[in-house]
Amino acid sequence: MLRIEHLTKHYKGSSKGVTDLSLHIAPGDIYAFIGHNGAGKTTTLKCVAGIQDFDAGTIQICGLDIQKSPMECKRQIAYIPDNPDLYEYLTGIQYLNFVADVFRIGPGEREERIREYGDRFEITASLGDLISTYSHGMKQKLALLSALVHQPKLWILDEPFVGLDPKAAVILKEIMGSVCAGGGAIFFSTHVLDVAEKLCNRVAIIKDGVLAASGSMEELVRQGQSLESIFMEVVDHVGTAQDAD
Amino acid sequence: MWGQLRTLIKLELCNIFGLNVFRFSKDKKAKSKSVMLLAVCICLLIMMVFYVGSLAAGLILLGAGEVVPSYLLMISSLLIFIFGMFKAGSVIFRKGGYDILCALPVSSTAVVAGRLVRMYVENLLIVLAVLLPGTAVYVWSLRPGPSFFLTLILGVWFVPLIPMAGAILIGALITGISSRMRHKSLAAAGLSILAMIGILYGSMRISAVGDISLEMLKELTSFITELLGKVYPPAVWLGWAAVQGNLLQGLLFAGASLGMFGAVSAGTAFFFHQICRSLFGSSARHDYRMGRLKEDSLLVSLCRREFQRYFSSSVYVTNTIMGPIMGCVLAGALLVVGPDALTTPLPVPININGLIPFAFAGIFCMMTTTATSVSMEGKNWWIAKSLPLSAKNILDAKILMNLLLFLPFYFLSEIFLILALRPGAEELLWLLLIPAVFLLFSCVYGITVNLHFPVLNWENEVSVVKQSASCVLGGMGGFLLAIPCAAGAAAAPEEYVWLIKGGICLALLLTTGFLYRKNNRFDLCGKV
Repeated sequence: MLRIEHLTKHYKGSSKGVTDLSLHIAPGDIYAFIGHNGAGKTTTLKCVAGIQDFDAGTIQICGLDIQKSPMECKRQIAYIPDNPDLYEYLTGIQYLNFVADVFRIGPGEREERIREYGDRFEITASLGDLISTYSHGMKQKLALLSALVHQPKLWILDEPFVGLDPKAAVILKEIMGSVCAGGGAIFFSTHVLDVAEKLCNRVAIIKDGVLAASGSMEELVRQGQSLESIFMEVVDHVGTAQDAD
Repeated sequence: MWGQLRTLIKLELCNIFGLNVFRFSKDKKAKSKSVMLLAVCICLLIMMVFYVGSLAAGLILLGAGEVVPSYLLMISSLLIFIFGMFKAGSVIFRKGGYDILCALPVSSTAVVAGRLVRMYVENLLIVLAVLLPGTAVYVWSLRPGPSFFLTLILGVWFVPLIPMAGAILIGALITGISSRMRHKSLAAAGLSILAMIGILYGSMRISAVGDISLEMLKELTSFITELLGKVYPPAVWLGWAAVQGNLLQGLLFAGASLGMFGAVSAGTAFFFHQICRSLFGSSARHDYRMGRLKEDSLLVSLCRREFQRYFSSSVYVTNTIMGPIMGCVLAGALLVVGPDALTTPLPVPININGLIPFAFAGIFCMMTTTATSVSMEGKNWWIAKSLPLSAKNILDAKILMNLLLFLPFYFLSEIFLILALRPGAEELLWLLLIPAVFLLFSCVYGITVNLHFPVLNWENEVSVVKQSASCVLGGMGGFLLAIPCAAGAAAAPEEYVWLIKGGICLALLLTTGFLYRKNNRFDLCGKV
């Protein structure tokens, strides 16, 4: 589903970035991407989403190269950033309609999906209001709803649980489960290690732009250690990539 | 209070003209953009020096040297007033940082004062840019005494105050009234445009001098002084105080400036939170029920979003729509007074009908929406980049929106012009074609410039719409191009005029096509 090979991205005049990162995400995976602030998680996700160019390496989505076929790749994905700055001058329903138009979703389908997921996230009544009146959590819900409207194969989520109320967080976890059960995949960054441990089947830890560890959750935590303790151990002591596979 | 004031002024001034970002940013691209903006400002400054210097020299040559200081003071005051009126509301009542400031133990007076000091510093630079070159010419030619320098050095600090007070009063009123309406930005834009038209009309009525006699021209100094006194009396007070060493007039100017500015500032501080609460308060209804949804084509959907973006910003609207409105008003005026009114005062015979298409092309292209349309995406730019949209999809919608917006004004002014000028077949062709070609070129050229000079990380729309390099370089491209084209057409022998005009249209269309193709291949992810 997603194949990142030797991804390298550095910002001019900054030591931040990503160096020689490789990851493979298969259909059905819920892949957690964890690391400290400034480790390179958002940079990686932005490169995968095709909104940032990179210096070296390749990214393939469903077998297509993001640099060579960006449009085809973007039709397969939904990207939700950590702070969803949406078009504040549109109402919620106008924004959803706009996204549905871009993905050429028919009126019947879009109505059905917006109704279903809008009700689940309890946001339907607010869809007629301007997005500028929304709270952070409501914007996050709307961004998720916009992804659900076109039902992508690959979800790229940057800190998706930040700002969501507990009920919405539970619904999101259910949705993530059903996406993967349906053959989709989710690649998301998080600082909430408990959630990552319970929800994901695979995990990658990034430290200072370099992949420090990656593999199946089961193998990483099989020695009775929690993901939290493994994370602390990895970021404190490990300098190079280790693959648990 | 003074401690708060000092801290907030420091906060406001530390990033004036993006200095703080330039100082601390490690992004070379951002730094080179700042250097480019500085270069544009220097170019404008040189143009201003040339214009003001020539004006001062001209007045001195005509024997009206004494009015130079008053004239310069009026020009700088008018510039501050007109630019300030459109941006005062969005600068003083800006949303960025409002919640953080409200949570801090600072008074609204300190917050307003901080924002006003920033405006004051920017406006003082305008005063200096106008006053220094003109005064240099005056001093070099007329060698005034020390009292001139003393009065002007002391008085210059007060010059921005009255026009700022006027601009803030109108800006705050517009913001205050529109904050009570549901469509706040649209209402603010409408009120700003009405205020501008009202001021233009009022100033024309006030400065109307009737028939100019030879006797009046002989007494040019008193004639200009009287005219300036009608339009803006404080300019004459300080001007004469400097020229004649009249201390009383100088004190009158300083007192009036401080009094007006103080009163308006106090009123603004008093109503600050009330206006901000109305502006930023939630008007959510939470009563939406799912109904039938309609599917639109990609271009229609993108273009509709462009319109919604456009009308959500009153500064964006007022800054770009004035050109087409002025075009319609002038065309309407030409219909009322007749084309003869333009030709009679000219000392040399000029084919006005031949120049009018260029004049209207220039007016229509005074500020295109496309020149700042990419920058206006701001923090939302990630959406367009992450969706399956090509550069062509995104940019076509921006161009189409600009064309659709200006089209009604174009047709209306063309109807007025045709009725006023009664052109022949060839003149009609140029009258219709030249403004249309210039408009098309300006839209595409605006996008080109904005793609190369985008400003996406802005706090206030004013910095994009009024102060960015793209706005200066891209927005006025068509307007500036119309001037040499008109001069070329006017200077050409009669039999070659059609060739010149045709050549201009063809060259512009080819350039537009070239830029359009280049823009559509632009790497939006890598370069913007």
